[in-house]
Amino acid sequence: MYRLPLHGVRVLDLTMAWAGPYATRLLADMGAEVIKIEAVGNWDLLRTYTGQPPSVERVWDKSPYFNHMNRNKYGCALDLSLPRGRELFLRLVPHADVVIENFRAEVMDNLGLTFEVLAQANDQIIVVSMPGHGKSGPERDYVAYGTNVEQLSGLCHLTGYPDGPPQKTGISYGDPTAGVAAAGAVALALWDRRRTGRGQYIEVAQRENLTNMIGEQVLAYLMTGREPRRRGNRHSSMAPHGCYRCAGDDAWVTVACENDAQFAALCAVMGRPELARDKRFADVVSRYRRQDELDAVIAGWTGGRPPQEAAEALQAAGVPAMPVLRVPDVFADGHLRERGFFEPVSHAVAGVWEMEGPHWHMSESPGHIRIPPPAFGEHNDYVFRTLLGLSDGEIESLRAEGITGDAPDWSVHE
Amino acid sequence: MPSTGVLPGKDSLANLRVLDLSDGIAGAYCTRLFAGYGADVLVLEPPGGHALRRHGPFAGGPPHRETGAAWLYLAANKRSVTLDIQTATARRLCRRMVEEATIIVESFPPGRLAALGLGLEELRAIKRRIVLLSITPFGQSGRHAQWKATNLTSFASGGQMSLTGEPDREPLVNGGYQAECQAGLQAFAAGATAAVNADALEVPQQVDISAQECMASALELYLSWWAYLKRDISQRKGNVLSAMVGIYPAADGYLGFHIMPRNWPWFARAIGRPDLIEDSRFKDNYSRLQNNDELEAIIYEWSGRQSAQEVYRQAGAARVPVAFVHTIGDLLASEQLQERGYFQAIAHPVAGQQTYAGAPFRLSAVDWQPGRAPLLGEHNEEFYCGEMGLSGADLSRLRAAGVV
Repeated sequence: MYRLPLHGVRVLDLTMAWAGPYATRLLADMGAEVIKIEAVGNWDLLRTYTGQPPSVERVWDKSPYFNHMNRNKYGCALDLSLPRGRELFLRLVPHADVVIENFRAEVMDNLGLTFEVLAQANDQIIVVSMPGHGKSGPERDYVAYGTNVEQLSGLCHLTGYPDGPPQKTGISYGDPTAGVAAAGAVALALWDRRRTGRGQYIEVAQRENLTNMIGEQVLAYLMTGREPRRRGNRHSSMAPHGCYRCAGDDAWVTVACENDAQFAALCAVMGRPELARDKRFADVVSRYRRQDELDAVIAGWTGGRPPQEAAEALQAAGVPAMPVLRVPDVFADGHLRERGFFEPVSHAVAGVWEMEGPHWHMSESPGHIRIPPPAFGEHNDYVFRTLLGLSDGEIESLRAEGITGDAPDWSVHE
Repeated sequence: MPSTGVLPGKDSLANLRVLDLSDGIAGAYCTRLFAGYGADVLVLEPPGGHALRRHGPFAGGPPHRETGAAWLYLAANKRSVTLDIQTATARRLCRRMVEEATIIVESFPPGRLAALGLGLEELRAIKRRIVLLSITPFGQSGRHAQWKATNLTSFASGGQMSLTGEPDREPLVNGGYQAECQAGLQAFAAGATAAVNADALEVPQQVDISAQECMASALELYLSWWAYLKRDISQRKGNVLSAMVGIYPAADGYLGFHIMPRNWPWFARAIGRPDLIEDSRFKDNYSRLQNNDELEAIIYEWSGRQSAQEVYRQAGAARVPVAFVHTIGDLLASEQLQERGYFQAIAHPVAGQQTYAGAPFRLSAVDWQPGRAPLLGEHNEEFYCGEMGLSGADLSRLRAAGVV
């Protein structure tokens, strides 16, 4: 076994909500020492998604959403908007390799914490900003959450039923995609720094990152002169290709045929081998034209079966098929469990449960959940005493002045 | 193209050689990112060409292996060498190429690479310190490792599809190829991370990326609530998650709102209903959720009469999270994207000049490259003769044998 790839990399993490914390979770999973910094008066909104009454003791440490996004990190309370807090943060920067934030574009400038200022404190520092629109341009100060990012990127325009409007996707899709990009950018910058000794500034404009994920559509638009049509679950060339109702409540299976052989196998599994020889469906062009008829046949077959049974029968015959896994199905999925995707976590305040583990499986330096998610201010001592060398008296005065603390001001997000 | 030593200049990423054996969008998206930031990405194409070359539409109309939109976009900045990996000669060559690479990207069904003599065990014998980046729908192990998948069925496996679409209709796949692109983006980040300390390892490191897990790790709060509280709140909700968060039709397009409690007074005034600010049905977040349908109807009625662009500008100036749904035409016309120089005009000898999405993110010390996709086998001579030391006669022999 070898050390994790990012062993020895220290990250000062000012990010909140999903995009930024997902980025730093990936870094933490791969061995970086991530110190999540919140303030008593400005803390991570995810702590409010508790699903429990506010009267529960330290309910802000029991938000499942926050805890899943912030495992493997340390937590520290330090208010950067107060002069003494800002000064202490700048004293931490020489101890760090990466500073990352996902505030609105202007916030770090307003705090006097620009890249130039941080680089003065540490000339090898890597600084990451993740504004929705970027740090320049006429819309730089507009605010965009993950749902807005997918609207701005072109993705929603492409998603939807053929007869319907542009569709919101099921998650705030701009968030995790920006998070992964930011983590990858940090890795490139670390690679570069190990060879050149220089730090650098990284800007992840979330909407630009997501437009990259539909980039071939930009070329297609210019080549054809037409806006792409929304096609639901259908494909531009494969047929059949859809999502079919199965036996059970909101139970569905997806099926796709890439070629004639898979279509023949599908017909055989459905007990309709004659369809593969039927000239109405014998080639992909005919099948494409008569998709509605085929979809009715397939739905007739799937309708009497649970999705897992339909998918297993089709996969056994070599046909791409997969149940539409719902969230509880994902959690129970035998395949994911065989791969060790879920790991137990034990948390001093929130208790013991299972969460998804690191999903970049490294054969020689496997990542695991090493540290439970931090309770608010849990590692104040590590930061103030061990890293900064402050005395008991100094730490006490920070507490007294509200620069640090052990509990968030709950009224902030009420 | 330098492949060894340390360059202190602006192009340190050129020292990162990526050998791309993958054949789908996930692998191609992953290596597009490496190539864009200056890594030396060598695509090993079968002599008939990479599978993505067959994806239309095509510049100029009829199908042509050099002009498909997906290939032009995804292969930009890469080098192409042809090699029929099914032949023993090719595999010998391939093992030599591996010696110069930092990362190998592959997307074969698990086990196939080993059958070709290029699996993790074989790599151990050839070279230490290499990253084998394997991208598959279900990963290298587990009962579904050999299951077949397309972008659609892969998307169904990760949980996100069950959340997408209207509650009374079938779940929807995201537009484009998002199962593949998510896996490709994650693989890029994972591969780059593994490369950071590849020098410190004395053995090859396989990075096993499962598209299913990439998506399952990005289920917003839904998986966490089920895991911790055993509460399932993942029912599909269509375009409106709650009245304040969703997509609404406008007079000339579609508006997207993500109104937070602090934005409520602005929003109530914007929709011409300042009276709602103090209305007991809507005055705080809890009461707004209690009277969600009523509020949704009010917003729906208002938004249908609005110019999407105008509301976007007004909300933007007030720092309120509102967007409008951009069509592809809107993207190309966006002043924001234009002023930032996001799109790049790139010339190609067969496809002509086209407009491409540029850098997904920007690094101050590493430039995004404005290069084009390679022609099939364009770099055969440069690579086989110039870098591997074969003679022109050797290359002719390989060609005659159908290896190249």
